[in-house]
Amino acid sequence: MSVLQAMILGVIYYLGNSSVVAGPIGYYTIYRPLVGGFLTGLVLGDPVTGTMIGATINLMYIGFISAGGALPGDMCLAGILGAALGITGGLDTEAALAIAVPIGLIGTLLWFGRLTLDSAFAHLADKFVEKGQGNKVWIADLLLPQLMLFFMTAIPCFLASYFGASYIQGAIDALGGNVLSVLIVIGGMMPALGIGLTLMYIFKGEAKIFFFVGFLITVYLNLSMIAVGFLALCAAIIYMQIKNTAKGGAVNE
Amino acid sequence: MNNTENKSLLTKGDLKKCWLTWLFNNQACYNYERMMGTGFLHSMVPVARKLYKEDMEKQREALRRHTGFFNCEPCFASSIVGLTAAMEEQKAQGAEIDDDAVTSVKSGLMGPMSGIGDTVIQGVIVPLLLAFAIDLAKNGNVASPVIYSLIMVAVVFGISYTGFMMGYKKGSDAILKMLENGIVNKIISGANIMGCMVLGALVANYVSVSCGINIQQSADSVFSIQEQLFDAILPKVLPLLLTLGVYKLLQKGHSSIRVMLYIVAVGVIGGLTGILG
Repeated sequence: MSVLQAMILGVIYYLGNSSVVAGPIGYYTIYRPLVGGFLTGLVLGDPVTGTMIGATINLMYIGFISAGGALPGDMCLAGILGAALGITGGLDTEAALAIAVPIGLIGTLLWFGRLTLDSAFAHLADKFVEKGQGNKVWIADLLLPQLMLFFMTAIPCFLASYFGASYIQGAIDALGGNVLSVLIVIGGMMPALGIGLTLMYIFKGEAKIFFFVGFLITVYLNLSMIAVGFLALCAAIIYMQIKNTAKGGAVNE
Repeated sequence: MNNTENKSLLTKGDLKKCWLTWLFNNQACYNYERMMGTGFLHSMVPVARKLYKEDMEKQREALRRHTGFFNCEPCFASSIVGLTAAMEEQKAQGAEIDDDAVTSVKSGLMGPMSGIGDTVIQGVIVPLLLAFAIDLAKNGNVASPVIYSLIMVAVVFGISYTGFMMGYKKGSDAILKMLENGIVNKIISGANIMGCMVLGALVANYVSVSCGINIQQSADSVFSIQEQLFDAILPKVLPLLLTLGVYKLLQKGHSSIRVMLYIVAVGVIGGLTGILG
């Protein structure tokens, strides 16, 4: 990997974290390993492998939901570095997934650091308001925190991707098969956390049974996700129609 | 709102500026103290500067109202931003709205709006689209991440802009009414059902845990708990139990980071002992 390529990866990681330059959609796109892996692959000249590794890593974070400022795991860093090390180190997707697990854990530290340090800029914004300098609020809300974010994200990602590749194969060999298989076990269980987090929002009342319906039809009938998606849409509509008729009957008496 | 009498002070351009400032900066300075509060303040700058061009004191007062805490799902929150812009405009036109009213509308709506937004976007749309896209991408389809991204761009911009304009034009009463009457509840319970079913399928497809315990029955036959017990009755029973267990822990108030560390611990112990594998 050339220095330039590693630098671009650093910038991609910054863009995934920044709502500013990449726009409000960064969190939904570049931040996802599916997209981040694809972009990493483009930079390194192998978009197909990048996409495949990114997709596998994204599975781990499929239901991840960020609510109230809590972010469980840095999937963006996991996606970019996982794909980068996978491509340059020639790892298979399972090994890339295994590396992505600890990377995602470490990445959350950056998130905590950022949200803590940003508080200082919130106070700076107050000062501008008190001084009647509303036109300067952007410096506190946009310029300084984003500069800080850029250094906090782009530099570690640049260093890790530039120096990581040459060590990663050796590191994995040194760790041995045991560590690798443990990490793969963890990676396989991780989607449960994302799904559990999402369930906190939607696993309610009469909808609960549909969780088990979705589970059972997939297990027993081997349906694809797209099939389940359409069936779920129909189930929701049918349920609402039945509920409406029941209500309508009561009102009309 | 009696816009018919008062000429509106904010032009379409001002509103767009306010919306775009919110859209791009709501989490630019995301911090534990105010969360998106600083971003909210930022989005009110174009409004306050336009409304009180001459009066610096009033401009300061207007902005001071928005230095507080704000946290919401960013797309649906744009309706609150639009509505706040409308309230500031009415206030500038001389309507009697006290400062507390502005704050209480903001903080009163941010809970319900997060509820809708997180359910619809993060709970249903994103996992569903990702599941489709990942299925395709795993075999090396590079169009999949691109199409996924384009759809998400359309979703985010569409919801955010529509919400902003609705909040601005219809005001808080309309939003409250909409929250109270059936439509929103219907959308939410429909989304809940769809989301639950999709998540159930995700558990079956993508959570993987299996039991590696084999019991030596006799010299030449081994009883595999996974293959001969679980797979025979309900193949993905362990992923299901794991997910429900995680959900229970989260519901009891354990933080997601903590639950993640539990998973790591279980993985290390289970993986090394061979119980899981």
